[in-house]
Amino acid sequence: MTAFILKRIGFAVITLFAVLTLVFFIVRVLPGDPASVVLGDQASAASIEAMRQKLGLDQPMVFQYLDFLGGVVRGDWGVSMATGRPVVAEVLNVLPYTIELTVAALILGLAFGVPMGIWAAVNRNRIPDYLTRIVSLLGLSAPAFVSAVILLLLFAIQFRWFPVISSGQDTSLGGKLRDLALPAVNLGLIMAAYITRVTRSAMLEVLSQDYVRTARAKGVPNNVVVWRHAFRNSLIPVVTVVGLYLGILIGNSVLTEIVFNRPGLGKLIVGALGQRDYTMLQGMMVIYTFIVVVVNLLTDLVYGLVDPRVQYR
Amino acid sequence: MKNFQLILCTALLAGLLGSTGAHAQGTHLRIAAAGNDLGTLDPHRATATPDIGVVSMIFNGLVRITPGKANPEAVEPDLATSWTSSDDKLSWTFTLRDDVQCHGGGKLTADDVVYSLKRAASKDKSSFFAEYSAFQAVEAVDPKTVKITLSKPVPGLLGLLVPYHGGNIVCKAAAEQAGDGFARKPAGTGPFEFVEYQPQQFVKLKANEAYFRGSPQIKEITYRYILSDASRDLAYQSGEIDLSYGRQDDNWIKRMRQLPNSKVGVFGPGELYNVHLNMTQKPLDDVRVRQAIAHAVQRPALAKYKGQEIAREADSVVPQGYLGHESVGLADYSPDKAKKLLAEAGYPDGVTINAIQTTLPSMMNTMQAVQAQLKASGITLNLAPVDHPTFHSQIRQDLSQVVLYAAARFPVADTYLTQFYESDAIVGKPSAVTNFSHCGVADAEIKAARTETDADKQKALWAEAQRKIVDQVCSVPVFEMLQAWAWKESLDFGYPVEGSLSLIPPVTEKTRFVN
Repeated sequence: MTAFILKRIGFAVITLFAVLTLVFFIVRVLPGDPASVVLGDQASAASIEAMRQKLGLDQPMVFQYLDFLGGVVRGDWGVSMATGRPVVAEVLNVLPYTIELTVAALILGLAFGVPMGIWAAVNRNRIPDYLTRIVSLLGLSAPAFVSAVILLLLFAIQFRWFPVISSGQDTSLGGKLRDLALPAVNLGLIMAAYITRVTRSAMLEVLSQDYVRTARAKGVPNNVVVWRHAFRNSLIPVVTVVGLYLGILIGNSVLTEIVFNRPGLGKLIVGALGQRDYTMLQGMMVIYTFIVVVVNLLTDLVYGLVDPRVQYR
Repeated sequence: MKNFQLILCTALLAGLLGSTGAHAQGTHLRIAAAGNDLGTLDPHRATATPDIGVVSMIFNGLVRITPGKANPEAVEPDLATSWTSSDDKLSWTFTLRDDVQCHGGGKLTADDVVYSLKRAASKDKSSFFAEYSAFQAVEAVDPKTVKITLSKPVPGLLGLLVPYHGGNIVCKAAAEQAGDGFARKPAGTGPFEFVEYQPQQFVKLKANEAYFRGSPQIKEITYRYILSDASRDLAYQSGEIDLSYGRQDDNWIKRMRQLPNSKVGVFGPGELYNVHLNMTQKPLDDVRVRQAIAHAVQRPALAKYKGQEIAREADSVVPQGYLGHESVGLADYSPDKAKKLLAEAGYPDGVTINAIQTTLPSMMNTMQAVQAQLKASGITLNLAPVDHPTFHSQIRQDLSQVVLYAAARFPVADTYLTQFYESDAIVGKPSAVTNFSHCGVADAEIKAARTETDADKQKALWAEAQRKIVDQVCSVPVFEMLQAWAWKESLDFGYPVEGSLSLIPPVTEKTRFVN
């Protein structure tokens, strides 16, 4: 187990290094220039050049790269080219919002997705199954920004239960939960749709296994068959999807953040891209990669908990 | 147990819902700007519209344009009570008020003004240093008197001293102490002082109780960054925002006006949409081809397409309302004339021209409309869509034959002519700004006007420059877009809102909510 984790951490370091290098060169190959963004569109070419020097962009790219790597090794991620603030500080400022939103969406996704998937599987080709499939299809196909605006129109404008601006209006616990509610539902519904479909198909497969038939033949009550015998064995694909989707969720939260006016990593990366903020983009990409690597590792470890047959080598 | 759960859920829901609806009113002004996040609050660096909006509430200038106006001739005292100039207009002396307090304490003196103007003229500290290049010396004669010595006369000098760009006066101690951090911790003398910045959310300001024009009636301002148009509108509609940046769109104006207790203001300065034609590249190097393009563009239809209230037809290469603007009369719409000119130029079968085009929707749909109009005259305009930063980078590398550019500038003809039509500003040169057409036909007039001290002669020079540029069709002006904001009917700015340099209605000490 320890050897497995160490090996995975070793791979993670290599992955991070590769991502870092790729991102470093890709953002610099893109047309556009942080110096002109900082100075605005009335700046002369000479002052843009002066700003490029100040930001170190006039150096050969290899020098910039070595300088950057040196900084990373020392734990210095540099400062944002657009704002002049440390990259780490900018990220840490908004990271809690992204974590809050992702975890809330995940909880909602699991809370709705798993029972609905099981319900559909148990009632295969009957009304509950059709209903669940239609609802989950809707969840998968509705773009996040459309469902977000519908939620706002309904619950913020029509019923006035929740605010349109989902950040920092009220810092009490109730206020924070109220801020989080609609964005989390918006992301959670999509997550729930995925989980419903995966749970349904995994359950269908397990329910058709011989041992389930045997259990039923022994007279084991239906509840016990479904929850104890079948559900646990159908968890592996569900865990896989949750793991995969968690990474996507963090990346995809940008539309939800924009429509609900929440701070977050998604908005930060969109802003950095628009400003060609090289240092910020580099930092963000590493963080995203790191999150995906960690989630994958955790997913692998959860397999062992779910299925004792899984062995780590 | 079930009862307990029910009570818990009900309490939680009541708690959640109970705290909704208590929207602050009265002395708390909540503004929504269109942006992802704050760029900078350093007034000598701020160029983005959302940044300039909040900066305008924090700083003063030596003089100012009457709030609610954007006419540079409506100059009145701000930090200076009076000013005099020598006969040769090379030496200017300003007498300061002695009741001005810096945010965070300390009286504003001539030292602060000297520091601030030198900072505005510094290449390292200011994005507007070039505008202050004629400032030879700025000295504090005594704590209440500032003397500016110029290397050559600057007729628009007062325009450089209004609280806009480099004319914003910063407090020396705070700026020196903060260093680069001034961008996040600004201190001026304006009616509102900086309190807090929350990344991607808002900037909070509070009333400067020691403000020299009297304590502001609004005590707190939350200036929010809301990128999504839909969310901004919904937040305004739900009552979470009192003053909201609008879309440049007639439908938006109509919709916001229909909301209960809502007002919409449409005001200048106008943002001129201008199609710049690269005069050094074939086939645009032939003036007849450029004239053909001018005749092929149907300006009234484009202005109507953009919205009758928010857009107005352009009538010169300098926007209307700018000091020195001259309605010079642009080419009439005539596909026949266009085709005839093309045939004369040796292109009887039409021409093909290429443009790098930003995907920014307001720019893209304009250029697509122009593209369709040109087609009717046998002119094929190929568009290569790129994202906005790429567009800005590539047009400055002289890679596009045709450049659609929209800009509002300090409303004096000189700014526009210098940045877009003077040879020094041609893209590719070290002194380049935004002269995409390589136009240099009016250099003499533009230069002469810059130092002409007789106001009438100066206006005549600017008018002549505009005529020459239009004759040579360096660019085809299309329409001007105005600014639109929506606000609560109860919000009274204290001034009629006819224009605003900072492109936001004037939030001053007089701004208040009325019943």
